[in-house]
Amino acid sequence: MLWKDKYELGVPLIDAQHKELFRRVESFLQVLRSAVSWDEKVQKVNETLEFMKGYVVEHFRDEEEYQKSVGYPGYEAHKQIHTGMVDYVLEFSKQYEQSNHDEQLIQQFGGRLLAWLINHVAAEDQRIADYAIKKGASGNEG
Amino acid sequence: MKDNLYKAFIDATQNVFNLMLNISEISDCPAGDFKCDDEVDIAIGVTGDLNGKVIYRFPVSTSLNMVNVMSGMQFDSVDAFVTSAISEIANIISGNVLSALSENDMDCDILPPVQCTLDDEKTYEIEASRCISTSIGEICLDIKLNRAA
Repeated sequence: MLWKDKYELGVPLIDAQHKELFRRVESFLQVLRSAVSWDEKVQKVNETLEFMKGYVVEHFRDEEEYQKSVGYPGYEAHKQIHTGMVDYVLEFSKQYEQSNHDEQLIQQFGGRLLAWLINHVAAEDQRIADYAIKKGASGNEG
Repeated sequence: MKDNLYKAFIDATQNVFNLMLNISEISDCPAGDFKCDDEVDIAIGVTGDLNGKVIYRFPVSTSLNMVNVMSGMQFDSVDAFVTSAISEIANIISGNVLSALSENDMDCDILPPVQCTLDDEKTYEIEASRCISTSIGEICLDIKLNRAA
């Protein structure tokens, strides 16, 4: 399973969204890496990619709202990381469509997404939780 | 300078391996001990107060182990997915190093990772090559940097 309990931040809304994101990414990777032909999996891959484009933006927005609510000092830098990832996903999506759904491109995307997501949640997001806990505003009560 | 820089890379690698792969024990040894016939080499360009590149040499077995641990899936050969995933890890380690350097007033930026070969014959002011050993395999780091004029 891709999700690990150590990734939990102690903020119910954000944790729930992270779990959903990991669940979707895991399902995406399973389809992407399955042994069936590309023609058989391309539709499922495309559906998941479309979902991710919307869900990632929604999650980043909620997470940024949370950072503002606790006065997280790394808000601007974290927002830039989110913006960079959204730009990458949108740019990739455009290239992928223009390539008429090239499998090599989406395999590259999948590899980067996997490593990026794990690092982002395990390292970058954890700093928000550390700050909130120190400040006594982790949101566990919510 | 060379030792500090090298230590920053070791610390960043340890940190990233711990957080992303749940591997807390790493050790380093001279690059001469690094023996590998089949590897994936990823270069990260560096600009700013330091110029040049850092090459991460991942043996195929280490690359596959890293992606297997991250994904919980079984990868048996290096393909576009595996290369992209380990390139991102090289990018993350390098980003962590730059953050550490910026705390010492060293202002650098990194370029996107690219798969490379080891045939660069240029000489650099700061050259260091060390091997990092972990429970899922070794990695060799080639640091090739010049100070900005």
